[in-house]
Amino acid sequence: MKFKKTVKRIIIYFLLVMLASILQTCVFPLLNFLWIAPNLLLIVTFSYGLIYGPTTGIICGMFAGLNMDMFYPEPIGLFILIYSYLGFFSGLFKEDFRTDSFTLPLAVCFACDLMYSMVLFVYRYFMAGSADIAFTLTKIVLPEMFFTLLLTLIVYRVLLVINRRLDKIDDLRGQNAA
Amino acid sequence: MSNRYSKILLIAVTIICFIFMAVSYIDSQALGAVKSCANYLLVPIQKSISSFGQAAAAGINENIHLHEVYNENEQLKAQVDALTSENNRLKNETGELDRLRELYALDREYQQYPTVAARVISSDSLKWFNVFRIDKGLADGITKDMNVLGGGGLIGIVVDVGPNYSTVRTIVDEDSNVYAMSQYSGDACLVKGNITSYESGLIDISNIDKNAVINNGDAIVTSDLSTKFLPGILIGYASDIKINSQHLTKSGKLIPAADFTKIREVLIVTQLKTDTGIVSMDVQSGRDGADLADILPEESTSAESETAETEVTAVDSDNAG
Repeated sequence: MKFKKTVKRIIIYFLLVMLASILQTCVFPLLNFLWIAPNLLLIVTFSYGLIYGPTTGIICGMFAGLNMDMFYPEPIGLFILIYSYLGFFSGLFKEDFRTDSFTLPLAVCFACDLMYSMVLFVYRYFMAGSADIAFTLTKIVLPEMFFTLLLTLIVYRVLLVINRRLDKIDDLRGQNAA
Repeated sequence: MSNRYSKILLIAVTIICFIFMAVSYIDSQALGAVKSCANYLLVPIQKSISSFGQAAAAGINENIHLHEVYNENEQLKAQVDALTSENNRLKNETGELDRLRELYALDREYQQYPTVAARVISSDSLKWFNVFRIDKGLADGITKDMNVLGGGGLIGIVVDVGPNYSTVRTIVDEDSNVYAMSQYSGDACLVKGNITSYESGLIDISNIDKNAVINNGDAIVTSDLSTKFLPGILIGYASDIKINSQHLTKSGKLIPAADFTKIREVLIVTQLKTDTGIVSMDVQSGRDGADLADILPEESTSAESETAETEVTAVDSDNAG
């Protein structure tokens, strides 16, 4: 029973991450007025880490990273690595997690986005050899962070509601089975 | 309990990822099967979403950009006037050019390359990389290293191919280096993507010999020297060319002919540089030598390189003729 529930959950994570990835690569680029789009996959990853703990965070991060790796021509594994570490990191804050507060999700989002940007900056520096740190910070990192934090306010709440519903359904089923 | 599991999982993921990265870094095609497999699921969804999304976005953007379009229309009218007068002037000069061509027996026209049209189905919305995906792949005869054109100029190169999709790295990506030359003088330069320049709609050009004749407004086309890009494809127009502080080379910016912000449909050149019969192998190596000499900043070598260049051109035109 528990195994079945876990598999069901993993399939749901996979589908949600895929939906986010499609929004990220197909829909956001069409919005011409955005010079830069929010990092939706990052939001999904850290939200699950924060709601369910490090293991779920890593699993979601793996799916998110896989989606990115499939898209980019960079070596496979780079994004899986980044996202699963971000999922693990956000999962560490599960203990302090208070559902009605927005401060912690925003703080974790900020930290995750910062780490993500730093890793990619270092990677780009070694692969392409260019490092205009002021430009990258003002034109890429900060705008992306702004939109990501803004979208976190909505997406995080939606994910929370969805997962509470799912938990409730699972609880009811568990009672019925017992 | 959960924490211990997660740590084991994290270590496992780390090890697997490093193995994957090492394998795909050494041989980029080794994990191609994994990629194609996952993309069999993803690409059909992306195709349908993007065609629907593009229609919807066109409707929204139409209203938002109406004002912009008015202004642009005014500008374009002015540009048409300027271009008409320039065209008239150029028409006059064509006669002279034809005569000179006959004189030099330089009858090599720009090649008409065979192309295939494709639609962009997804692109990078975060600006770290400048890549996009198109809906044609191996099944349509696309292979790695094919050149991608659009909007009147070079857009990029195919870097990754799956059965039903391929990924294109644009020339504004920081990883992109294109050997190019001035269409008029044939002087070599290097077109390198740079995110700072791209933000203002430009690309960097560098490694121009200080004696080279490349002026602002000159058309920059792909060079014969390039190993992956077919020769004679327009990239854009030089601007802001100035001598570097060491007084050895010149560099500047390039206004691309293609508009990279609105790429929706592209043309893929189905001919590869490696199977063009125009440049034979030994001539190619001779040209590479000329290229090095061109880029070396010393004055003495530049004179030699000029002679090398003319020799090679002679061999080349013999081959073509």
